[in-house]
Amino acid sequence: MSNVIVLDNGGGFIKAGHGGERDPVTVIPNCLYRPLSSKKFLHPSPTASASTEDLTSAAVRRPIDRGYLINPDLQRDIWSHLFTSLLHITPSNYSLLLTEPPFTLPSIQRATDELVFEDFGFKSLFITDSPKLVHLYEASKRPDGLISKAQCSLVVDCGFSFTHAAPVFQNFTLNYGVKRIDLGGKALTNYLKELVSYRSVNVMDESFLMDDVKEKLCFVSLDIARDLQVARKRGKDNVLRCVYVLPDGITHTKGFVKDPDEAKRYLTMTGADSPSLETIKGIDRPELSEKLEDRRRIDLTKNEFELTNERFLVPEMIFHPADLGMNQAGLAECIVRAVNSCHPVLHPVLYESIILTGGSTLFPRFSERLEMELRPLVPDEYQVKITTQEDPILGVWRGGSLLASSPDFEAMCVTKSEYEELGSARCRKRFFH
Amino acid sequence: MDDDVSNSFRRMSSRTRKVAPRMAAALASSDNRTQAAIARLEALENDYAGMEMVETNDDDEASLDDDDEGYLQKKQSKSTKRKTRQAKALENARKAPRNFLELLHEANLESLPPHVPSYLKAAVGPPSSTCRRHFCTVCGFLSNYTCVRCGMRFCSIRCQTIHDDTRCLKFVA
Repeated sequence: MSNVIVLDNGGGFIKAGHGGERDPVTVIPNCLYRPLSSKKFLHPSPTASASTEDLTSAAVRRPIDRGYLINPDLQRDIWSHLFTSLLHITPSNYSLLLTEPPFTLPSIQRATDELVFEDFGFKSLFITDSPKLVHLYEASKRPDGLISKAQCSLVVDCGFSFTHAAPVFQNFTLNYGVKRIDLGGKALTNYLKELVSYRSVNVMDESFLMDDVKEKLCFVSLDIARDLQVARKRGKDNVLRCVYVLPDGITHTKGFVKDPDEAKRYLTMTGADSPSLETIKGIDRPELSEKLEDRRRIDLTKNEFELTNERFLVPEMIFHPADLGMNQAGLAECIVRAVNSCHPVLHPVLYESIILTGGSTLFPRFSERLEMELRPLVPDEYQVKITTQEDPILGVWRGGSLLASSPDFEAMCVTKSEYEELGSARCRKRFFH
Repeated sequence: MDDDVSNSFRRMSSRTRKVAPRMAAALASSDNRTQAAIARLEALENDYAGMEMVETNDDDEASLDDDDEGYLQKKQSKSTKRKTRQAKALENARKAPRNFLELLHEANLESLPPHVPSYLKAAVGPPSSTCRRHFCTVCGFLSNYTCVRCGMRFCSIRCQTIHDDTRCLKFVA
């Protein structure tokens, strides 16, 4: 086992594990939560295991605001839990590979360095940005592909706090080309929360629940006008309508989609890859005995709510932030601007090697829609090719793991003694790209 | 029209009348609407504010418990009032987690020379086409009408009545 800890410290989830391995040891939400039953803030359990904790109306504290670390005390708390109880390591024997978003403010960098060296006493530290790691991972996966041959790609990272389009060239992120949309998974969840709270049930306190609703039911529309018309229909014609059942705290503490096949019906609208009904039936449906007709009705004694147009209008905001009243361009235009700020020689290659990563790209049909919007904006003679990662949430971590296992990794790090001698600002110069 | 209403229903609380001029002033300038829009976007990003409120409430309740930390601190501050309060304020100022926008302001990125890429310059900027689709704030479908009082959108009379009853001016006043 290597002595490098790879830590992708995201706003939503921390991905942590040992360098050189394929998967991180643990993925935990980067927050503390306090359920209604407790007075203290608790550490959430790793998401991989089916957790039994009741997250209903849990209060949340996050160390990261808008993607940047603003509360080092809270982060220290979460990290020490992570290192001692989940990874079982003593930091002083290990090096740390840590991700940091582009354009981190100097004051935040200083706080991070203090955290790593003074509070935890890591042996050495390597800070990197995520687009570079994603590029590295994708290039190593297909050694004869365009990305590794041209040594250049455009990484679109649509995460929890924000969305970045970042050109990477020769394993370095071109920071003058990075473009950002201030919308990510958190804003989308909040938007969904706002809509549902106004239209049916007040769920303003239920961020974990609404995260689940968003992940299970939202999708990206390929034709907004048509889908809006479909969503207007009544009865069985409305293939977009579906019902989500809220937890009642007695029989089930987690919410669930009332009828999973109903939730998948939108796929039939284009006739494309609709999965066979047998495979979907009974995925997570406690009341198997229930009749089909019963499932169609909204049961007022239970807490349920119905979603129709919210399902696609929420992810739509990434493509058109202006609809929300934000004065920002959509994702396709963001990509075009990122490419245009690079040298013209790179343009055709960048358009042909777009890599999607980050949890918010997991919405069904995300890449199809992006290609649809991007194609008209790109000059005819260039090809557009969008690569999706097999696991967009772990993509960055895997790249980090790869980098940590490279032989010259130790040489790139800043050691603790160097930090003590030179201070934070000087050491940071080493990581500058 | 407002006066008529208040005359015919004398018994109604006088509060509506007090609020009215302020509201009218607020609505006269378009600034308030943009401010409301900004505040709404902030809420989208910042959120969990509702929970923070819950938290503070809970703390008040919790301080009723004898063994609670907050209570002990209160007790201490009673005995040596001035010193602890000052020290506390200082400590809070140092320790309080600030939000990112404050840190951003502090970093003074505007002073950087124009060729240096920074957080501010990395934002995509305004969209090239200015057309914005409007969705009904009540039902979510495309909307053709704007509320004359608060500027929110609705698509039909039905949605308008719902809007007027529930949400009108919520984000402005």
